[in-house]
Amino acid sequence: MADVLYIEDDPNDADIFGRLMQKLDRHITYMVLSSGTEAINYLLGKGSYQTFRPQLPKLVLMDLNLDGISGFDIIEQTRAVDRTRFLPIVAFSTSDSPRDIRSAYEAGVNAYVVKPGSYPATRTLIDQLCDFWLDKNTRIDYT
Amino acid sequence: MSAFTVDLTNCEREPIHILGHVQSHGYLLAILPDTYSVVHASDNIVDLLGMPATDLLGKSIDTLFSGTELPASTVIELLNVGRRNHSWETINPQPVTLNDRTWNLIIHEYQGLIILEWESAGDERNTAINQQLIAQSLTEVQASRTLPDLLQNTAQRIKTIIGYDRVMVYQFSPDWHGHVVAEAKDDHLEPYLGLHYPASDIPRQARELYKINLVRLIADVGSTPSRILSIPDWPVDQPLDLTHSVLRAVSPIHIEYLKNMGVQASMSISLLYRGELWGLISCHNTTPRFVDYPARQAAKFVSQLLSSALEFRRSEEDKTNLLQYTQNAQRLHEQLLLTDDVARALTKFPVTALDVTNATGVALLFNDKIYQLGQTPSEAQLWELGQWLTTTNAETFLETNHLTSLYPPAEAFREVGAGMLAIALSRELKEYVLWFKPERIREVTWAGNPDKPVTVGGDGQLRLSPRKSFEAWTEIVRNTSNHWTETEIGTVVKLREDILQVLTKQANAIRMLNQRLQVAYEELDAFSYTVSHDLRTPLSSIRCYSEILLEEHGKDFDEDAQALFQKIIDSTERMRSLIRHILYYSRMGRTDLDTQSIDMRQLLEGIREELLVTAKGRSLQIEIGNTPPINADSTMALQLFTNLIGNAVKYTQHKTDAVVRINGQQTDDEVVYTIEDNGIGFDMKQAGKMFDLFKRLENARNYEGSGVGLAIVKRIINRHQGKIWFRSEPDRGATFSISFPAVPLV
Repeated sequence: MADVLYIEDDPNDADIFGRLMQKLDRHITYMVLSSGTEAINYLLGKGSYQTFRPQLPKLVLMDLNLDGISGFDIIEQTRAVDRTRFLPIVAFSTSDSPRDIRSAYEAGVNAYVVKPGSYPATRTLIDQLCDFWLDKNTRIDYT
Repeated sequence: MSAFTVDLTNCEREPIHILGHVQSHGYLLAILPDTYSVVHASDNIVDLLGMPATDLLGKSIDTLFSGTELPASTVIELLNVGRRNHSWETINPQPVTLNDRTWNLIIHEYQGLIILEWESAGDERNTAINQQLIAQSLTEVQASRTLPDLLQNTAQRIKTIIGYDRVMVYQFSPDWHGHVVAEAKDDHLEPYLGLHYPASDIPRQARELYKINLVRLIADVGSTPSRILSIPDWPVDQPLDLTHSVLRAVSPIHIEYLKNMGVQASMSISLLYRGELWGLISCHNTTPRFVDYPARQAAKFVSQLLSSALEFRRSEEDKTNLLQYTQNAQRLHEQLLLTDDVARALTKFPVTALDVTNATGVALLFNDKIYQLGQTPSEAQLWELGQWLTTTNAETFLETNHLTSLYPPAEAFREVGAGMLAIALSRELKEYVLWFKPERIREVTWAGNPDKPVTVGGDGQLRLSPRKSFEAWTEIVRNTSNHWTETEIGTVVKLREDILQVLTKQANAIRMLNQRLQVAYEELDAFSYTVSHDLRTPLSSIRCYSEILLEEHGKDFDEDAQALFQKIIDSTERMRSLIRHILYYSRMGRTDLDTQSIDMRQLLEGIREELLVTAKGRSLQIEIGNTPPINADSTMALQLFTNLIGNAVKYTQHKTDAVVRINGQQTDDEVVYTIEDNGIGFDMKQAGKMFDLFKRLENARNYEGSGVGLAIVKRIINRHQGKIWFRSEPDRGATFSISFPAVPLV
């Protein structure tokens, strides 16, 4: 079981994220999935996760521009299923294009955060995100 | 006033076919076909038969001629032949001798009565001359002559036949006013050729009679007409109908008219074109003059020849016009295809839009410009006319020979445009081709003096003078032009199709260009997205890893190595900012404007707050003065003011006390904002390319920047149809001014 699920296909971003998480002075478990298909299987309990259905994370951080199945597809599919309808999903993207931001909200994200592009700024951001979504935010948990 | 009111409509109402009189040069009897007994007799018949009319009435015809050398049986035999054949044409005229004189007896049957009329027989020798003239006329008509020549020669021939001192050919217009188009006259007479006569000179019911009775003689204007008497028990509501009578008396009004003209005898011969009255051959004599029946028949025959010639000539003329207009329209079409430039094709070649009608002026309203040829209204008048046309329901064309009746302001230019023929190219864009014809009144030469319409007679009573009708007619003719023919209308409607075809072709070309542009834009969009993502992602990695290295291993580096790492980090930041700006710049060019009224105080205070946060530790003042709202896209407005104020803040960063002043001002047609700073300023000489992409000024090198910020500003201003200008001096600060139109953009 992971508190935070990060869906990211860029290995550098995933690596930097991992480094940051380890440096956070918190006991937070996390998991990084590098493809859209795998993320859908994980969240909806399909494919290799059919027999063992993992508990849902408290926060999903999602890059939108994934090869193959995009972040938008993942959001739409999770929003169509009761189990994941209200799962907190935060878009975490390089793009600040108004069109992308609008599409993400239309697909059903809870928040949209533009990647700061700098290590200290990313650290602050991740810290704040965990603080808010893991501690402050009140969720409906489907187990 | 008087028993006889001077009233123009009198002429129209007069029952001229049942006036109850015959002209005194002849005698009339009307008999019942079954009994041959007399129902009506002219009062003067006593002179012919030696018996007063009252004694004849009710008597059978065989008793009438008892005192004469004409046997009644001869007359009865004639009547029997005519009735048996149901035709009187072969009988007329029948020479009879009475009182030692030869008379022509003319018989016809009408409205249940047989009417016998005697008039004097002329000189028999004339018959041969008349035959000769008829033969000549036939040759003339067959020869290919122009219509004016033909009319002129016919007038001369008629004059020879009847011996009158003036013969005119009088042509009717569609409004029935007349125009003298040919004339043969004695030398001492004043010419009437070219004169116009009002339609009321020949009233409607007279025109109807002219279509029935092709020849009409008034032998002596001064003679006293003879009354027609009826048998005592004849119903009063059935007066003798003289429609076909050769002796029918003349209306007093017409007599007055002729007297006014100094005419003592008159004869008219109708000219018909396709069953309608085309004109009259009007003959005048200054002394009383009788024309005998055979001579009148000869004149009638000549006029009938002319009538058929008219039909033929007229269609020939139409054909010639049609051919000419069609050929010219064809040339215009070729010119249109050749140049693809409508205005040039219609106005700049030897054949122009003026050559497809008989108009005297043409104007083209096209592409917000006006092109004029010939005589047209002024440019300002044409603009208004175009404006008015869009309010009419003229989808294809509009045709009028009386423009003021539709558009009263046309009164101002009636001399050039009393009539208009317009084709619509685009009502939305107010694009039209307009042909004009001048007011016809300018070409009219008046017959008589229109200023003296009513005369006062010796008895002090007002006399109706036919000239009175001028005034009314002038009113009718004012502001009217000649008519537009079917040929003219047909030609310009076809021309319209040709022009629209070219315009459609051009529109299609533009549409295809647009489609290609659309594709290009979509590719650019995809490219922008790639740049935004794929370029920024590795850039972030470079920066983050540099920062990680510095953070985790920084203690192992010496100062120089640390500084180098900082340079890498700074460079990635600059590149990141540049990418963002370029994307913004490219997007700015075509995202849709979402224009709304913007609360400028709120917007400016927001920017100020942000800038003051980042400028911590500096002495920076940002003063906001008046803030009238602007109509703009809110995202773009924010970007615009952020860039301008940001620049001001940037270039004041080395001042001890930096001051940036922002002030707005509302005028009638725009809102102007100025952003003034006390920064490093610039040399105006270098500022020519201030708004070019990536251009930076020399003294700005030490300040961070990409040279995209002002280019974005300029783009945003352009998108809003605003203006931007500036003034500055090195080290004296700079002032940027921008203006937005006061009216919201659509």
